[in-house]
Amino acid sequence: MIEYLLFATFVGLLFHGIHRKVIARVQGRPGPPIWQEILHTLKFSFKQTWIPKTASQALYVGIVFVAIAIWSGALVVLLTGGSILLLFGVYLLHKIVEHGMGLSTGSPYTKFGAIRSVISAASELPLLVTVVAIYFFTRSLSIADIAAYQAANGPLLIIAFPAAAAMYLVILSKMHYGPFSIIEAKEIVSGNLTEHFGVWRAGIEVAYALKTYVLLYAFVLIFIGALPFWLTLLAMLVVLVSLSFVCAVTPMLSPYDTVTIQSLATGALVVYIIVLGVVMG
Amino acid sequence: MFNLPNPQIGGPELFVLEFGDIVAYFSPYTTVLFAFALLFTIFVIVSRPERQVDIAFGGDAYYTKEVEPGLLRFQRFMAIACGLATLGAMVTGDVFNFTLFASLVGITNIGIVAAYRNRHVLNAAFQYGIVAMLATIPLFGGAAIVVASTGTLSMWELFTTAVTVPLIAKAFLVLGVMGEGMAPFYIAKAEITRAQGAPFILMVHVSSLLLFLRVMEIVISM
Repeated sequence: MIEYLLFATFVGLLFHGIHRKVIARVQGRPGPPIWQEILHTLKFSFKQTWIPKTASQALYVGIVFVAIAIWSGALVVLLTGGSILLLFGVYLLHKIVEHGMGLSTGSPYTKFGAIRSVISAASELPLLVTVVAIYFFTRSLSIADIAAYQAANGPLLIIAFPAAAAMYLVILSKMHYGPFSIIEAKEIVSGNLTEHFGVWRAGIEVAYALKTYVLLYAFVLIFIGALPFWLTLLAMLVVLVSLSFVCAVTPMLSPYDTVTIQSLATGALVVYIIVLGVVMG
Repeated sequence: MFNLPNPQIGGPELFVLEFGDIVAYFSPYTTVLFAFALLFTIFVIVSRPERQVDIAFGGDAYYTKEVEPGLLRFQRFMAIACGLATLGAMVTGDVFNFTLFASLVGITNIGIVAAYRNRHVLNAAFQYGIVAMLATIPLFGGAAIVVASTGTLSMWELFTTAVTVPLIAKAFLVLGVMGEGMAPFYIAKAEITRAQGAPFILMVHVSSLLLFLRVMEIVISM
């Protein structure tokens, strides 16, 4: 399992690099090399590190470990065919990580990032709708049962397309440089990440790499099905590149527009769920 | 003796804790939520609070806000109480107990916010107090409909396919929890920037999100 966690971290960081490269190429820039995020993480690992005097010290440090722990746990859930409700739980707990990271430092910039993190909590609701929609079809939230359902009935990407679109929106809302990346916008320096530097930042980069890997893997596993390993990686890469295209051509929205769009998407999906409920009993 | 009726939702039962006829249960899902609540309660107990840096508007001056130790003690007490109530709500196997814990979370959340001596923050605490009080109606109303229509409040019975819980009861429970866990209401307003964030205000959000996660498991399972 440790080897797999290291592999997922490495691939997640590589995905972040590919994400930046694709955005740059779409925008007509050369962009950084695709291994840039791996180098960043290594660089941060060896930089001088301390805790700001104004920080809530235990929380400032502890939140980094919590971030790594929850996404490592989510990966284990995926690999062992656990419940997607647990995955949904981890995704919501990540909101606490973003929020705690911002609130723990004493800096007004990180605090604004933390506030934006919570007001964009609407981004979590489409995932809940996804969970409910999947339950309508499979009558189980276990990933193993969902994979078995797809083996018998075909991919949920076709059967429950609106639910897949909802999860795609959820992943998009967590991508760097995306239309919903308001918590790390440059007008508030780096938002909730501003005061975490050195080893703490390296830890956060590792957690975020795991997060990207887990979310893409979950999308492929839940909506396409259990594929051979290399095919799964390829499908994850295709999903990532499509997300990068969206990020490249969409400007960052204002905080209230972000909430409005995510809430409207959730509303549309709730209607879908109600229709499903009526049609499928 | 105990077998969780629907392990396909939150995973199989790991172990149960009996308090007479009230039986708390730990599945992978509730265990993760419990562990997370416990971790943040420990943070509240051991962590020193942040010292807020404020930037003076219209200039480049900044200063660190003063914090009164007496107010901090009260905030810490409320935050720990909030953590304990959240712990209970995460593992209880009884709908009425869940609603009690949820309302306790609402009360302690108001306490955490109201401990800060600032007019704007106190106004916010008053408004959220009203929201939390109103939310007790659907919260306990939901539990009342459950017991009136099924004759039980035990999740061990309610999670079986033999018992059908009315949709309105589930909707009321979710609505009640959203009102008691006031984070979305509180955070959308600017008052948060005036009060200290970590680790006490953070407990407001931890408890709110965890309550929401637990109620989703309950309503999907019923």
